[in-house]
Amino acid sequence: MNEPQANDIPAKLTRCFSAVFPELSVQQIASARLETVERWDSVAGVTLATAIEEEFGIELDSPALEQLVSFRSILDYLTGLNAARGLPPIETIEHA
Amino acid sequence: MKLVEALEALNESPRPESPVLEIHLACGFTPLHFLTFLNAHLRREFPEHKIAVEAGLFGDLPGNLERLERAQGSAVVAIIEWQDLDPRLGIRQLGGWAPRQLGDITQNVRGQAARLSDSLESIARRNNVTLALPTLPLPPVAFTPGWLLSPFESELRELVAGLASRLGRSPGVRLVSSQRLDRGSPCSSRFDVKSELSTGFPYSLSHADNLAALIAHIIRNPIAKKGLITDLDDTFWMGVLGEVNVEGIFWDLDHRAQKHGLYQQMLASLSAAGILLAIASKNDPGLVEEAFRRANPILPRDRIFPLEVNWGPKSASVSRILQTWNISADSVVFIDDSFLDLAEVKNAHPDMECLRFPLDDDKAAYQLLEDLRDMFGKSSLSAEDEIRLDSIRASHTFIEATRTHEYTPECFLREAEGKLTVSFLKHPPDPRALELINKTNQFNLNGKRHTELSWKQYLNEANVFLLVASYEDKFGPLGKIAVVAGRSENYKLSLDHWVMSCRAFSRRIEHACLLHLFQKFDAKEAAFDFLVTPRNGPLRDFFADIVGSVPQTSFSMTRQQLLDNCPPIFLRFQEPSDE
Repeated sequence: MNEPQANDIPAKLTRCFSAVFPELSVQQIASARLETVERWDSVAGVTLATAIEEEFGIELDSPALEQLVSFRSILDYLTGLNAARGLPPIETIEHA
Repeated sequence: MKLVEALEALNESPRPESPVLEIHLACGFTPLHFLTFLNAHLRREFPEHKIAVEAGLFGDLPGNLERLERAQGSAVVAIIEWQDLDPRLGIRQLGGWAPRQLGDITQNVRGQAARLSDSLESIARRNNVTLALPTLPLPPVAFTPGWLLSPFESELRELVAGLASRLGRSPGVRLVSSQRLDRGSPCSSRFDVKSELSTGFPYSLSHADNLAALIAHIIRNPIAKKGLITDLDDTFWMGVLGEVNVEGIFWDLDHRAQKHGLYQQMLASLSAAGILLAIASKNDPGLVEEAFRRANPILPRDRIFPLEVNWGPKSASVSRILQTWNISADSVVFIDDSFLDLAEVKNAHPDMECLRFPLDDDKAAYQLLEDLRDMFGKSSLSAEDEIRLDSIRASHTFIEATRTHEYTPECFLREAEGKLTVSFLKHPPDPRALELINKTNQFNLNGKRHTELSWKQYLNEANVFLLVASYEDKFGPLGKIAVVAGRSENYKLSLDHWVMSCRAFSRRIEHACLLHLFQKFDAKEAAFDFLVTPRNGPLRDFFADIVGSVPQTSFSMTRQQLLDNCPPIFLRFQEPSDE
C-alpha cells in the first residue's frame, strides 16, 4: 500500500474529483457535496471512491464510504488516516 | 493506465469533425470501470475518432447478444465470463456447489456455450466481433483441493477451448489471446471480490485496464510490416563468414548458436506468410552463395529476394532493396548485430524500424522473435500472401525485360499475355481490398484510409460499387492489385477510392480499369475525389496524360477524354459471371 504524502493529499483528491466531475472548477470542487453536484449519483460515487482508493493506495470500507459525502469530508478522512500513520498534518488548501 | 488517467482521457474533447467510432459492448457484468478503460484505450488507438461505446443490460449477456444480431457494420466487443455460462460459477447467486450439482453445471455450460456461439456467429456475419473468453479464475466449486486439476474443471476448460476453436474459425471473430493477457494481468490479481459483491463489477482495476487495452488494440488491427532486411554474420548465422568460411558458421544447439536457428525458423515462417525477406550484408557474394548452397540454412536461398551482398554501405544496399520491393521504409524492419550499421541505416531511412540482433543474450533474442511476431502478424492469410514473393520477382523480371532495347512498350505488352480479372462483389468484403486501400501510397486517389468498421459501413451504402482487379501475365500472377470504389448515378461515376499496387505499374491496368467502369455503368463522365498527397505522383502523372494538366483537387474526366488519350491496351479482360 502506498503511503500518501501529506502535502499531496489535497492536490490528489482534487485530481480525482476533477476526473469524475470535469465540469467543476477547482473552487467548485473545494465546496462539492453529494447534494449540490448534480452528477454525483451512485455510479459517480463508486467511480470516485475507486479512483480515491487507487490514487491513495487505500481501501475504503462501507462505514467510511457512507460518510464520504463531500470534498471536505473526504479530505478530513484522508488527513485522519495520515495522522493515524504518524505523518505530519497537511497544509491548508488554498483555492482562491 | 490508472483509473484517474482513463477518466481524464475521456474528458479530452476530440475535434468536432472527427468521425464517430461506435462500439457495442456485450457482457454479463456491470461494465463500470471496464467501460471507462475501454473508452480511454480506444481513444489512444483511434486519436482521429470520436469514440461511442454502448453497453447492454446488466446480467443479460445472451439477451445483449441477441439484440446485436440485428446490427450491421458495427464493432462488437463480447466478454464471456464463467458466470455467463452458469450463474453458479459466479458469486452473486447461491445456486449451490454440491458435488452432485457439478454434472448439471457442466451440462448447463455446454448448452449455454452453444447458444452464445450461435449468437456470436450470427453477429459476426455482418459485424466485427472481438471476443474475450473467461478471464477470471473459477470459484472454489469442485470438492478437490485447489492444487489439483479436477475433472470438473478440465471439462469446463475443454468446453471453453471448443468454443474458442469454433469461433476462431469464423472470419468476423477475433479472440483475445489468453497468453498475452496473462503477461500484463496475472490470474491471481484479476478478481475483485469486494467490487463484485458491492457493485457487480468483478475486475480489479489493473485487469480491467489490461483487458481493455488488448481489446482496443485488436479493434484497431494495426497494419503489419511488409518486409524484413537482415544481416548475415552473427545475425542470420553465428560467425563471420569471411573469417571462418562455410565450415565455421552455425545455427544449432551443439555450437551454442540455437538463437540463430530460431531466428532463421522465424524468418522462414514469415516468408511463408507472405513477408518479403532480403539480405544486406558486407560480404563476398560468391562465398555467401556457397554458404547457402553447402550449409543449407533453415531459410532457403530462394525465399530471399533480393540479396545485396557487397562491401558498400548498408544504407545503400537497403535503398536498392526498397527500390526492388517498391515499398516505403516505414513498412520494413532492418535487423543487424552491428550498432554502427543500425545507426547508419536509421540515419538514411529514419522511418525504418531498426532492431539489433542480441548476439550475447538468449533472452533478448527470444524477445526479438516475439516482437517480430507482433510487427508482422496478421489475423488471416490471403492468396496474395502466398504469391507475394513470386509476384515481386515477376515484376522485377517484367521491368528488366522492358529495359531491353529490342522491345517497344507496345511490343512488350502485347507479348506479355496480360490478363485482368475484375470482380464487383461487395459482400462479404474482400479483406485484400481494405488492405490495398490502407497500404497503397503511390497510386492512391486521395490517401484516405478506412477502419474495418468504416469500410463495411461505406460498402453497405446501397449505390456504392467496388471493383477489385487481379492481374497475371506470362511472368506470373500479381494477385489482386487494384481497387476502385465509388458510385454511379445518371451516367456519371463518382470515384471515392482508387488504389493500385506499385507492382502493377506500366501495364496500363489503370486505363483498362477506368475504361471498364465507363462501359459497365454506361457513364459519360467520372468525378474523382482527388487530393494531392506527398506520394501519389504516379496517379497525378496518369491524370495529366489523360486530361492535359495535373489536377490539384477534385475534378472530372469525360469518357471521350479517356478514349482520345488512352494508349493501346493489351489485356485480356475477364469478369466472372457468378456475380
